[in-house]
Amino acid sequence: MIPPQVFDLLHTGVSVIVGTRDSSLMPESSRAWGIRAARDRASVTIFLTEAVSQQTLRNLRENGLVAISCTRPTDHVACQLKGRLRTIRPAEQADREYSAGWHRDFIQELVAIGVPADLCEAWITGPALAIEIDVTEVFHQTPGPGAGEKV
Amino acid sequence: MENDRPRLEDLWPCFQGIIPAALSTCAQDGTPNITFISQIYYVDASHVAISHQFFNKTHRNVRENPSACAMMLDPRTLRAYRLYLRYQHSESSGVLFDSMSLQLQAIASHAGMTDVFRLRAADVYEVLQIDGVEGFTRFPPVPVSERPSRLFVDQDLESLRLMTERLNRSEALSDLLDRSLQLLDELFGFHHAMILLADEPQAKLFTIASRGYPEHGVGSEIGIGEGLIGMAARARRALRLSAIDHSLRYARAARDRAQATAGLEAVCREIPLPGLAGAAGQIAVPLVIRGRLIGMLAVESAEPLAFMCREDTILTIVATQLATGIDHLSRDTEESSPSAAVKSPAARAARRPACRRTFCFFHRDDCVFVDGEYLIRNVPGRILWRLLTRQRDEGRSEFTNRELRMDSWLGLPDIKDNLESRLILLRKRMEQKCPEVRLVTRGRGRFALEADVTIELAEKKET
Repeated sequence: MIPPQVFDLLHTGVSVIVGTRDSSLMPESSRAWGIRAARDRASVTIFLTEAVSQQTLRNLRENGLVAISCTRPTDHVACQLKGRLRTIRPAEQADREYSAGWHRDFIQELVAIGVPADLCEAWITGPALAIEIDVTEVFHQTPGPGAGEKV
Repeated sequence: MENDRPRLEDLWPCFQGIIPAALSTCAQDGTPNITFISQIYYVDASHVAISHQFFNKTHRNVRENPSACAMMLDPRTLRAYRLYLRYQHSESSGVLFDSMSLQLQAIASHAGMTDVFRLRAADVYEVLQIDGVEGFTRFPPVPVSERPSRLFVDQDLESLRLMTERLNRSEALSDLLDRSLQLLDELFGFHHAMILLADEPQAKLFTIASRGYPEHGVGSEIGIGEGLIGMAARARRALRLSAIDHSLRYARAARDRAQATAGLEAVCREIPLPGLAGAAGQIAVPLVIRGRLIGMLAVESAEPLAFMCREDTILTIVATQLATGIDHLSRDTEESSPSAAVKSPAARAARRPACRRTFCFFHRDDCVFVDGEYLIRNVPGRILWRLLTRQRDEGRSEFTNRELRMDSWLGLPDIKDNLESRLILLRKRMEQKCPEVRLVTRGRGRFALEADVTIELAEKKET
């Protein structure tokens, strides 16, 4: 279950990075174009493009294990979700709109820390796949001594 | 395509800590982990380092399963790169650790968090593969030609830095000389090198140290203006000869000239200048301080194309520091209190002198022979004779630089007397020709004359 403060954090234009691994335990890093937590706070949906996340998708299909780290660039407040794949499906209209909204929020965050807007706008966020993940664990990841503690 | 893969150097903007990198690892039980890393540090063309400040999952995972994957963004374009890594080792001291630690401390102190941000270790990873991530951004890449690599220190520059630091630590002139030749060899591959010091009143240069020659040639002399080294000395300019002709080999030239002009007796009193038999390239660089010639640094190679502009530049930089160091350490007249008279193993053996050594002084040219073999002449020759006779007449074995300076018979000039370098010369010649009799340092400005043998002295006054 995602705690309320983490639930709120996930919807504030956070940077979303995704960690998976293959059968030989070789890790893979990727970026997702947005994260949406389900109302029941038991699962999240992340948006990945095939081009950027080929190996990540392969790993997810193979073993379903995933780590997702979300950080708000302006204050480094961060969390890590551990989970297991539920479904992979093409993003629908509502997903595309959600992802576009996340992209706008994320650009605002980045511009606030000095990243030029045109660079962030040039990211290729679609066509995306919507990946639903059952969240099994949540960890604090804000830098400092408390990082890594289970929520 | 394999050839299109970016090199680690090409990713220099990613190593500036402007945009955090994503680092994923995996526990032995198969649970993936991902976290932001504020900065990945470039170590060399195939290694990166990650700071380890807190005990965390990444730290634990890579010690169970060394594989890791970093995703980095170029801050100029936000293009993405993946680095596939293998954790190799952890460093908690040394150059890499110190530089990472200092950087962290500066940031921490800036933020008032000195106690919180403390580098525990620098975790070093081998870079197995680098992939540019296609389909990440529409933003055009920065052409490779526009990617300056000024943030990566050129190997030569790094070696020069090391050399400067180490030379700077030299406490005595002999250390400085030997260390500089050793570093020129080990850091830059100048395997055959020598340092000569100038004796300007005599218009001569004498070899004080050499490396990479079968005969070290310490004490050998060459006229200023003679041969490559002498000419470069006179011009006070570095001189490089590539693919030189045999006839230009100054080493042979100096010896042949002596033989031709003065016959065998003179040659016996000439120590041959060290020379590489098949020398094909040479560089001679003057050691100059405030316009005054102190000496020469010379290198040789059997490889005709071994020396180019790069080598000139390196040697010129080294020569500048060497000149300053020689000038500084030669000037050192302060005497320290005598250090404990630690007897060397050879000195302990002195209780049973095994043989005798006969030193003969030729007043005509201030020349000392040992058992009929040329040892040394001029000022170092007079110094040796003075020490030997004082030991015989007064039973003394400890001496100071100051008393030698006060001794008008030695003929040391009032200023810039080069006493220290003359003592080095004498010490090295004795090591080579009569190792049973030694000059042993007893602290700054003090030394002792030690002998394992019975010494006999003889003099020749006639011409």
